[in-house]
Amino acid sequence: MEEFVYIQHDVLPSLFQGLWISVLLIIPSASLGLAIGIVMGALRVFASRPVAMLANIYVAIFRGIPLVVQLFIWYFGLPYFGIYFSPFLSSVVAFSLCSGAYHSEYIRGALLSIKKGQMLAAEALGFTKLEMLRSIILPQALRRALPGSGNEIIYLIKYSSLAYMVTCIELTGKGKILASQSFKYTEIFLIVGVFYLVLVSLAGLLLRHMENRLSLPGFEFHRA
Amino acid sequence: MEAFMARSENDSVLRVENIRKSFGDKEILKGLSLSVKKGEVKVIIGPSGGGKSTLLQCINFLVIPDEGEVWLEGEKINHGKKRELYAYRQQVGMIFQDFNLFDHLDALENVQIALVRVKKMDKAKARERASAELRRVGLAEHASQYPAELSGGQKQRVSIARALAMDPKVMLLDEPTSALDPELIGEVHAVIKDLVANGMTMLMATHQIGFASVLADEIIFMEDGTIVEQGPPTKILLDAECARTKEFCAKITHISGDS
Repeated sequence: MEEFVYIQHDVLPSLFQGLWISVLLIIPSASLGLAIGIVMGALRVFASRPVAMLANIYVAIFRGIPLVVQLFIWYFGLPYFGIYFSPFLSSVVAFSLCSGAYHSEYIRGALLSIKKGQMLAAEALGFTKLEMLRSIILPQALRRALPGSGNEIIYLIKYSSLAYMVTCIELTGKGKILASQSFKYTEIFLIVGVFYLVLVSLAGLLLRHMENRLSLPGFEFHRA
Repeated sequence: MEAFMARSENDSVLRVENIRKSFGDKEILKGLSLSVKKGEVKVIIGPSGGGKSTLLQCINFLVIPDEGEVWLEGEKINHGKKRELYAYRQQVGMIFQDFNLFDHLDALENVQIALVRVKKMDKAKARERASAELRRVGLAEHASQYPAELSGGQKQRVSIARALAMDPKVMLLDEPTSALDPELIGEVHAVIKDLVANGMTMLMATHQIGFASVLADEIIFMEDGTIVEQGPPTKILLDAECARTKEFCAKITHISGDS
């Protein structure tokens, strides 16, 4: 009974606070990450060779270095150069850049799958490259990238838990503090796990809903 | 006399001079020249791989020629200048063998989008214009269907409407019926005939020789990247000078025997 009261009065309010911080981390990181991914993916496919090369290097670096290490660099490393990011900002920057690198790969794949003929048709109508990308290619490519990019967003929800490593106390951080005070590791992290599961499920539903809404005649999936 | 010469030069809507294009070692176009006058229909025939498509794509610089010049209404096109290139392409309608409709847009939006995004036309106006063009090709009731829901013939008619909406000065048609089932060819031919009747200037590559002979002011026989022979349909089809032209025409007429 005492345990139940502790959980109800101390654990849950604290975890909800953490959950709120997590959401505040996830939403800008997911949006920024996707935006970076679109730009980088498009550059890798359509930009001139040197620019595409730079975008490739970006992906190689941010996909190749463990996220925790990237977080530490933003938070502990930059001060050496006189640049100070708050724990929250370091986390958002690290998550966005890492997520962008992964998104760019899904977007690149989707861009490559658009038939060349449609680009010829757009060019023949007098579209500029950028206008063609914006109104012909991306609307189709993003639809195709959605399952992969959605997966990346779900992944981001979970790796946002790394933010507590740079003292941005979100859901996992709160859980860790509570657990080390009360030694109720099992109970508290079970609850934390359920919170993440709910977040991920909601995101999954939302993404599935978007996929259905954006599906096009002739491209929908028919279950056999 | 000189003034007269200049006038007749300017008479051609489209003039192409000495176009050369190689892909690697293979020379696809070996210095081709031709011109199309206002309201004139020229049809290019010739075996596949002879460079017909490449020529048409070079004319609006979807493929950049290695050498040669393109003139529209007496103005030389400088394709290196992007603004000039984009402005030029708006005036040259292009129809592709495999339609190349935009898969994510319905028929109406396919016709409308370039008006809005390229011509910067107001959306409502563009919509009106797009509906009018769809009506013109007989697809008013299919306006809200997506490419995947249309037949090949309907798709090609949408693509013709899409090109027409831009008010092109000349149209390039690259085998517009080659990807169609035989029973769908007629509806596309009817639309093209209608355009010709309304005075559209055209350069068309096709294998439909019967159709070509009815429409064309001149037939151009092209093989191995050069123009072998050109002249009025009756001459090319029935009384060609070059043996190779004769042979090709005999074969293709025999096979298709279309109208």
